[in-house]
Amino acid sequence: MTASMPRRRFLTLAGGGAAFALFGATGCGGEDAADGEFSVWVLQDENVNPVSQASLDRYNGAAEVKGVLQPEVNTGYRDKVHISIGTGQRPDVFFNWGGGSIRTYAREGLLEDLTPHLDGDPAFKNAFLPSVLDAGKIDGKFFGIPMRTMQPVHMFYNTKVFGEVGVEIPETWTQFLDVCEKLKSAGITPVALAGAQSWTELMWIEYLVERIGGAQVFADIAAGTAGAWQNPAIARAIDTTRSLVDSGVFGTNFAAVEWEGGAVQQVFSSGKAAMHLMGSWEYTTQLGSAPEFARDDLAWGPFPVIEDGAGAPDAVVGNPTNYFSVTKDSAHKDAAIAYLKQEMASEAYVDGLIAIGDVPAVADITDRLSGAGNPEFAAFVYDLVAKAPSFQLSWDQAVERELASPMLDAISQVFLGELDAAGFVKANEDAAA
Amino acid sequence: MSTAFEKVAAVRRGSRRAAATPRPNFLYILPAALFFGFFALLPLVLVVALSFTTWTGIGDPEAAGMENWSRLFSDEKVLAATRTTLFLTVLSWATQTPLSLLLGVWAAGRQRNRAVLSAVFFLPLLLSSAAIALMFHRFLDPNFGLAADLGPLIGFEDGNIIGTRGGALAAIVFVVGWQFVPFHTLIYQAAARNIPAVLYDAATIDGAGRWQAFRRITLPQLRNTVVTSSTLMIVGSLTFFETILLLTNGGPGIATHVLPFLMYRAGFEGYEFGYAATIATLLVVVGTTLSLLIVRFSGFAKMRSTLEGL
Amino acid sequence: MSTGARGRPNWLAGALTAVWLIVIAVPILSMISWSLQSQQDLLDHGPLAPPSSITFENFAAVMDMGFGRYMRNTLIVTGAGIALTLLLAIPAAYAVVRSRSLLASASFRVFLLGLAIPAQAVIIPVYLIITRMGLNDTLAAVILPTVAFNLPLVVLILSGSLRDISGELYDAMTVDGAGALRMLVSLVLPLSRGSITTVSVFVGLGAWNSFIFPLIFLHSPEKKVLTLGLQSFRQEFGINLPGMMMGVLLSALPVFVLYLFARRWLVAGLAGVGGK
Repeated sequence: MTASMPRRRFLTLAGGGAAFALFGATGCGGEDAADGEFSVWVLQDENVNPVSQASLDRYNGAAEVKGVLQPEVNTGYRDKVHISIGTGQRPDVFFNWGGGSIRTYAREGLLEDLTPHLDGDPAFKNAFLPSVLDAGKIDGKFFGIPMRTMQPVHMFYNTKVFGEVGVEIPETWTQFLDVCEKLKSAGITPVALAGAQSWTELMWIEYLVERIGGAQVFADIAAGTAGAWQNPAIARAIDTTRSLVDSGVFGTNFAAVEWEGGAVQQVFSSGKAAMHLMGSWEYTTQLGSAPEFARDDLAWGPFPVIEDGAGAPDAVVGNPTNYFSVTKDSAHKDAAIAYLKQEMASEAYVDGLIAIGDVPAVADITDRLSGAGNPEFAAFVYDLVAKAPSFQLSWDQAVERELASPMLDAISQVFLGELDAAGFVKANEDAAA
Repeated sequence: MSTAFEKVAAVRRGSRRAAATPRPNFLYILPAALFFGFFALLPLVLVVALSFTTWTGIGDPEAAGMENWSRLFSDEKVLAATRTTLFLTVLSWATQTPLSLLLGVWAAGRQRNRAVLSAVFFLPLLLSSAAIALMFHRFLDPNFGLAADLGPLIGFEDGNIIGTRGGALAAIVFVVGWQFVPFHTLIYQAAARNIPAVLYDAATIDGAGRWQAFRRITLPQLRNTVVTSSTLMIVGSLTFFETILLLTNGGPGIATHVLPFLMYRAGFEGYEFGYAATIATLLVVVGTTLSLLIVRFSGFAKMRSTLEGL
Repeated sequence: MSTGARGRPNWLAGALTAVWLIVIAVPILSMISWSLQSQQDLLDHGPLAPPSSITFENFAAVMDMGFGRYMRNTLIVTGAGIALTLLLAIPAAYAVVRSRSLLASASFRVFLLGLAIPAQAVIIPVYLIITRMGLNDTLAAVILPTVAFNLPLVVLILSGSLRDISGELYDAMTVDGAGALRMLVSLVLPLSRGSITTVSVFVGLGAWNSFIFPLIFLHSPEKKVLTLGLQSFRQEFGINLPGMMMGVLLSALPVFVLYLFARRWLVAGLAGVGGK
């Protein structure tokens, strides 16, 4: 009998908790902006959110319809957008990754076509880097306004290892292969690769295809053109990848190395491996986890040029930027667009982004980047993109959502030696069939 | 309570007929039945219905006829995942059953050291599948985990266990075994303790050794327990999904893709809920068939008596 | 058992248990040892070395990352899961055993059928139902289906134990003028305390460990349960392996306490599923 009292109280408490949770559910739909306000959905991020809020404050001051910032958690954000965009609770303006993350909505007519707004206001359109603005196009139309940092993928080098082995940072593919040989002889894994996540492997395929065949090869694939995967550049890129793997450029245990959790960063910073192909965020990550390495021994550069390739030597791949899109049925569409026009390329907003370490996709800001916390790296990233004739959005973001997983599987199988070029092409064509 | 017993005595003593005992009406089971119907049976019907539709999660599902089903039957990944699912199930059963049987019978002994060790063996049961998978995920890191130190001892020179096909499958069988052997040991321990000691005494008098006693008495006496434990293992093998998602995420390549994993990915990553429902239907069919086969081969009556004897 | 050859050492059993002891103890000891050292310590001395100095910084880090909130949510899911299951299953089991209604026996047969439905196989339609009810990202979204899929086994176990209550006891209460409800409250409930404990532990552990339903339904950090919290620790801790391990260790602590003080219940709840 003595034992039953606390247990009963425990159960009552727990039951009360459940009722609370149920009650909370009904209150949940009410977070939307009230009438006469437009909602701006962004990812929860303690660095960016204040900058976004400041831009809304500036806009709201003189505006009749005011904007309300609504930060959402990263995990599940896509789902939340996906669910709400199909219901009446859709946002007016929302953060997205462009490409495949909004293609379905754009095609179903759920998003406002921003092309007329950009074409009708050349000053606004020219305020952005054209390669980045173009990367957000869907079926030839603009649906997104760049709103954050650019995240191109490029090479990182451990200069300490390079110095010890006595090799120079490679600019061409021949030099790259030569460096790999020398590193291997010295007992060092040439390239760190987090092969447990196939999107890191994808970066290699993206650059090889871009350098070998040019930007059009993948543009055709993303557009769903028949036979696009058959392009010989794909086969050559896959063959090249396989020979890299076979010759031990990525070491032997890359398939078990994690990106999530930072194992690969550590392989790279500790000098077990000498090079790393990664998004520009690698710099910030290393600065956080291995500050000494990031300060003293970390160098960066563009992906090597393949001498006989058809691609532009300056082209980049990666995540051009994040975008704001406007929903078509928004009751406050005009206010939302006015906000984007006023703020997204404004001096105050751009300076705000630079101050938190972003490299915005806005034209002619080279001198302002000196105000960044890491001016040298920021300038490199900015120049890399500014002079790039094209900026290829990561394939897994660019293709139809249901094609991404099969493609990533096939890439991972290429790295494991389970698929050759023909098998890779077939796997992707089968998925699209 | 005492009054109730007095009444029983009164009823027994007296010759007077007791009035008809009030019995609960169907209202007592109705809430449970409705609840179960709404959250478990309705979904079962819906999953089949959805398999004949395309649905992206936006708007309403649209009829798609046999589209998903013809895709399912030509999808090589589904075939591969079915094979992997069965392979993992059989391998797990074949390793866990002898292990937990032997450990359970051993733990049934009342010696003090056995009690202490049993308490240690019980520990994995205190961790959730997610915690266990995440823990081993860290241990299996080829550069910084236990795999770096222990891998070479078991033939993985570079610590690359989870990045190889065989290693990843073995890792899943190991981790699942680590998690569930303690549970099945517990079941066998309880059953072994119920074997009448007199049987062993008789065998000893007959001059039977330890092995003979085990073979002639312990094993036959545990037959029903083997059936129960195997059923739980095989049906439970569907829960490999969590472990796989967190431990290998289906990799390397497609080596550890199982049916629930494909279903989850098609639905919640690809937003192809119709096709996901088709894979789910296949999963229901496979799961139910497995359970029915076990019940058929082992005798339903025994199964029921084990369950009802609780 | 083992009366067969008492006294003689059993080498085979000895070897097997020794190996199994290593298999169980090495990961658990490593987990505890990792969680009590610093990242640098771990990298310097390797994964198998004991910590060179003990630190509680990982504990603070885990707490900072919302561990308490995850724990609270898990407790709500577990408690509400147990309460709702019992509320539905006890009257149902009572009706199964005592009711003459055709509906009751038909329902029971449906429950038996339900034993074979794997919850994972129907997450897609459950997702459809829950989102249409507007319950996405609430704890109720996890509690309701968890309870539903527990009902068949729980009703089966409870009705099994209710069958042991002699009919004469009911007859005796009839003499007292008791109705069906009073019999449930003052006869059935007290007499099935044992099996109610068993199913509570079983349902509680299931809810405590649940992962799939939380994974598809819970998104915001304020709603996440422990298992999901651990998953996000993997990202948030980055290269901090000890932090991750501290999360794993802490997540097991409440069950460990239960194990220390109520081992018999816990074992009964677990073994209850497999038969005694």
